[in-house]
Amino acid sequence: MLEISDLTVRYGKLTALDQVGIRVGQGEAVFVVGPNGAGKSTLLKTVAGLLRPARGRIDFDGQPVGGGAPERLCRQGLALVPEGRHIFRTLSVEENLLVGMMIRRDRAAVKDDLERILGLFPILRDRFRGVAGNLSGGEQQQLAIARALLQRPRLLMIDEPSLGLAPLVIDQVYASLRALNADGLTLLVVEQSTARVLDLATRVYVLRSGKVVLADTAEALATGVAMEEAYFGYAGQANG
Amino acid sequence: MQERGMIAVLEKAWPVLVLVLGLLLAVVLADAYGSVLMKRTVTDALIKIVIVVGLYIFIGNTGIVSFGHIGFAGIAAYFATWMTCCAMMKPITMTGLPDFLRLETYSLWFTALVAVTAAGLVALIIGLVLMRLSGLAASISTLAALFIFHAVYANWDNVTMGRASIVGIPTYVTLWVGLGGAVLAIVVAYLYQISAFGLAARAARDDEVAAQASGISLYWNRLIPFVLSGMVVGLGGVLQVHFMGTISVNAFYLNLTFITLAMLVVGGMRSLGGAVVGVVVLSSIADVFRRLEAGVDLAGTRLSTPTGTQEMFLAALMLLILIFRKDGLMGRRELRLPRLLGGRAAGAR
Repeated sequence: MLEISDLTVRYGKLTALDQVGIRVGQGEAVFVVGPNGAGKSTLLKTVAGLLRPARGRIDFDGQPVGGGAPERLCRQGLALVPEGRHIFRTLSVEENLLVGMMIRRDRAAVKDDLERILGLFPILRDRFRGVAGNLSGGEQQQLAIARALLQRPRLLMIDEPSLGLAPLVIDQVYASLRALNADGLTLLVVEQSTARVLDLATRVYVLRSGKVVLADTAEALATGVAMEEAYFGYAGQANG
Repeated sequence: MQERGMIAVLEKAWPVLVLVLGLLLAVVLADAYGSVLMKRTVTDALIKIVIVVGLYIFIGNTGIVSFGHIGFAGIAAYFATWMTCCAMMKPITMTGLPDFLRLETYSLWFTALVAVTAAGLVALIIGLVLMRLSGLAASISTLAALFIFHAVYANWDNVTMGRASIVGIPTYVTLWVGLGGAVLAIVVAYLYQISAFGLAARAARDDEVAAQASGISLYWNRLIPFVLSGMVVGLGGVLQVHFMGTISVNAFYLNLTFITLAMLVVGGMRSLGGAVVGVVVLSSIADVFRRLEAGVDLAGTRLSTPTGTQEMFLAALMLLILIFRKDGLMGRRELRLPRLLGGRAAGAR
């Protein structure tokens, strides 16, 4: 569904991503993990069109999308939940969700979707008319995900869903992600912590200093040793 | 069920309804009991409402402060002047005008329409370039646009008569015309605000990244309110010249920019109600100080405050608002339907 090959992104002279190749199949939940500054957020932002790649190819559903305008990519079914709970703070929860639905043309289906998503995140129904900026961190993260879901994406990209959240809240967020994936939604998730990866991932990429240093199925990584080594870049890692 | 539908409509229209009824009341009272001076003061405030509401359409919804919009008022005002003023003098004093302006005089309605459209077109051309910028860079560039407008119009002698005043513009703006303009501006601003375009602009104002990720183009959703607000401010400029009967380039420069922005800041930059309240409050204060400066008789002695007190007081008031009530008198809210009439509590825009 998503094919990234040879992707290089630079901030001025600094190379943030270096010939990265990543593939996400239909219905998968692919994780990209790595330490601070590995280029994880850069990867998602580039796929979403917020950054321009210096080199490389991004194909979505067989169509090249690299370097397209973000508003067009999101109409093609690519949704991004940016890092750090980007919500519209002075707007109400209702208006935040309305913004998510703005690109939709199928008015009738939108209503059903809203009901379904409010069922998934019941707290948003309670706070429907409240100002989004007054929500707690976990509620804001749920709102950001709900807003992206209302775009009815075929691929949902989430940047650090667990960032700054209490463990119990992370559990809730991950439970909803699992439910969505079970419903057939393809996920590309970036996380700094490896702790939650095996809960949900079908396949995992480890990114370090802008390069993919390890790629494998979640089962193969279940022992955790190889992943840890790649993550921290222990000596002896051949391609690190 | 039908009653609930009625309440929903009432609730939606309430913020505009209250403002319009309030202004209507003021106009009726001023018309019936006001002195000539009072009538002029209220009319002037109504024209200011048109301009400040116009500013609000862009500043309130995009969060970008524009220092340049008075230039659009000036553009429209000069168009109105060229099209309606002084049929005898025009061919001699403004020789640079094309014949269709120099030799003809047009009807007032048609003139207003053309002038407002011209302001919108200029806003479109400037916006196409400037709306690629964000934040402070965008604000400063609008100030640059105002400087350019002023430099051109102040030196374009055979078309604008340079820095001199042009007189003999028909004056048709009464209390009621002013009210009509203010109501039109308020309705346009509110319809934009509750439209999907307005929502998109406010979303982009709150968070650029999330807005783009939601399929919102920052560029278009700044350009649209920029042009719309340029047109409404232009309408203010048209009313202004047909109220004063004269025009000079300095009437559409920094003084007017400062006072209208102060009105918006004091009332609340992010609220349509705030834009109107700001004009009413500052106009009232200005009027009180005008009387004080002219002098009042108190127990046989005539007391007057020194000239300039008004400006000092307004500047101090703006400072206090910025320090203690950053979002202005109205905050970020609109006037809400009271619960007594079936309105809901809480919530926000």
